[in-house]
Amino acid sequence: MKEFLTYLVTGITLGASFALIGSGFVVVHRVTRIVNFAQGSFAIIAAMMAASLLRGRLPHGLAEAAAVLVCGVVGAVVGWVALGRRGTHPLISLIVTLGLSMLVSAAIILLWGQDPVSPPGLRGHVTLLGVDVERQRLLVLLVTLLAFAAVALFFSRTYLGKALTASASNPYAARLVGIDVRRMGLLAFALAGVLGGLAGVLVAPSNALSFSSDLALALSGFAAAVFGGLSSPGRTLVGGLVLGVAGQLTAGYLNGSYQTEVALLLMLLIMIARSRTFVAEEAK
Amino acid sequence: MTRRPSTLLVVVAAVAACIAPLVLSDQTFFVHTVLAAVVVSGLSMLMGYAGQASLGQGAFVAVGALTVALGTTRWGLPPLVVLLLAPLVAGMFATVVGRPLLRLQGHYLAFGTLALLLMVQTAMSSIDALGGAYGVSGIPAFGVGGWTVTDQRPYAYLALACLAVVLWSSARIVDSRFGRAMRALSGSETAAESAGVPVGWTKVGVFALSAAFAGLAGAVTAFFTPYVSADSFPPLESFTYVIMAVVGGLGTIWGGVVGAVVVSVLLQALNTVSSQPGLPPTAAPIIQYAAYGTVLIIALLFLPRGIVPSVGSLRLRRPQGSPA
Repeated sequence: MKEFLTYLVTGITLGASFALIGSGFVVVHRVTRIVNFAQGSFAIIAAMMAASLLRGRLPHGLAEAAAVLVCGVVGAVVGWVALGRRGTHPLISLIVTLGLSMLVSAAIILLWGQDPVSPPGLRGHVTLLGVDVERQRLLVLLVTLLAFAAVALFFSRTYLGKALTASASNPYAARLVGIDVRRMGLLAFALAGVLGGLAGVLVAPSNALSFSSDLALALSGFAAAVFGGLSSPGRTLVGGLVLGVAGQLTAGYLNGSYQTEVALLLMLLIMIARSRTFVAEEAK
Repeated sequence: MTRRPSTLLVVVAAVAACIAPLVLSDQTFFVHTVLAAVVVSGLSMLMGYAGQASLGQGAFVAVGALTVALGTTRWGLPPLVVLLLAPLVAGMFATVVGRPLLRLQGHYLAFGTLALLLMVQTAMSSIDALGGAYGVSGIPAFGVGGWTVTDQRPYAYLALACLAVVLWSSARIVDSRFGRAMRALSGSETAAESAGVPVGWTKVGVFALSAAFAGLAGAVTAFFTPYVSADSFPPLESFTYVIMAVVGGLGTIWGGVVGAVVVSVLLQALNTVSSQPGLPPTAAPIIQYAAYGTVLIIALLFLPRGIVPSVGSLRLRRPQGSPA
């Protein structure tokens, strides 16, 4: 029983980080219909930058916040290229973001080298349900929940959030009432940068990240976002947690090397099972 | 209808391609480029006609290579038989996984095929019957009857022969009944369906065809290397096929060849630059990644005509250069 609880708790905290990256996919896809392959790269940039700033004697909190903000700017730049000219097909934009993620890899190696980096985080453990949990992992869960609440409030309660939703549901009508749809797209990308960066600074203290982690991060985030049909933040959170727990249970009871495959298989099954609704959504 | 490049251009390219192996001292680059062209020709059809991107084409290259590796070392089949078997096995594998997978579209299919590649890699590295952690080594040299290949050069011609077969069959297929169905898809799936085109099966057909080409390339790679493991098919290589297809122009017979040659030559040139003495060891990966990214973005955003397919009408264009 204790074993099971351990897997459950670590799975939930791991899943929270998937969900955080997944929320970046959701925010961009909702507004622009683009799937941003560079979503995982934001996390790596933030982790590397936070590590450098902390070594430069910036205090905790400030260093992480600065790194996350920088990722917001990087996100906007990625969005500027990915949105391309008006009428660029979303599938073409996906391949453009694939190219951008490669450029980011080049920049990361140039600035920080090829070795994995793990900035210091919270130390120590706490006991939860009789299970030892690193405090850093609890922090991941806490911040993820806060971030999702903030995103939900932003979309439903603020004018800017409503403008974003309007651009998503009907770009033409949004343009008619004076919303700059392209600027909304850039804003969505910046927000995705912040969310991805947040995931990076939170995950890196427990799991070191290197330039080549982007594929794994992007895939796990995309898998979580698939649960929400790439448009629902709430279901993305659930998806991330399910994937995290399923992965940890597989790693614990079966074989650690199948952890990713279980996530991929779940993702494929859900995509195929829901393919009809997806097609309807894409056609909108 | 496909506008064909002038016969002269094709003859010049073919002659140049046949002379090249005689001049080159090391065939590795040449063989890899020609085999990439084989894979990209299929991918270009899939992306151009079915309008679907595959980020995991390496999965089918792996199936082809594995067919050769296991066929020769475990079951003692003759090289020529496994070479012909490899595209069939890859095509059948694609038909089986394609039925559920092709219910996905666009982004979902792109990620779905990437997931497929990663799962094939895991299967190869964790199941001992498929090579396991050490891969399959000791693949015998290619040969027919009593004749066996002893140096690299014949592989260059074998790869060229495969490319010729692929290009010839592509041209035939595009003009066939199946080809017309395939081209109808690229316009509007709904229109194609109402005109009686079996949309589902046609898509699976294009998918299987592109997989068969990839399997053929994998088979020759397996003989050439001669070693096959899960790490032989990294996702980056599959992304490179997409770059080549996009750069060359999608849904054209010669686009795959042009893209493969242009991108390979560019990467090889940059590789030479980055391995110059005096540069830090990180220069190579930096230049490589930067080149991939830049080529892809520039091709997509600034050379959209003939390169952007699935958007609205499909434009077929003359290839911009000649394969060398």
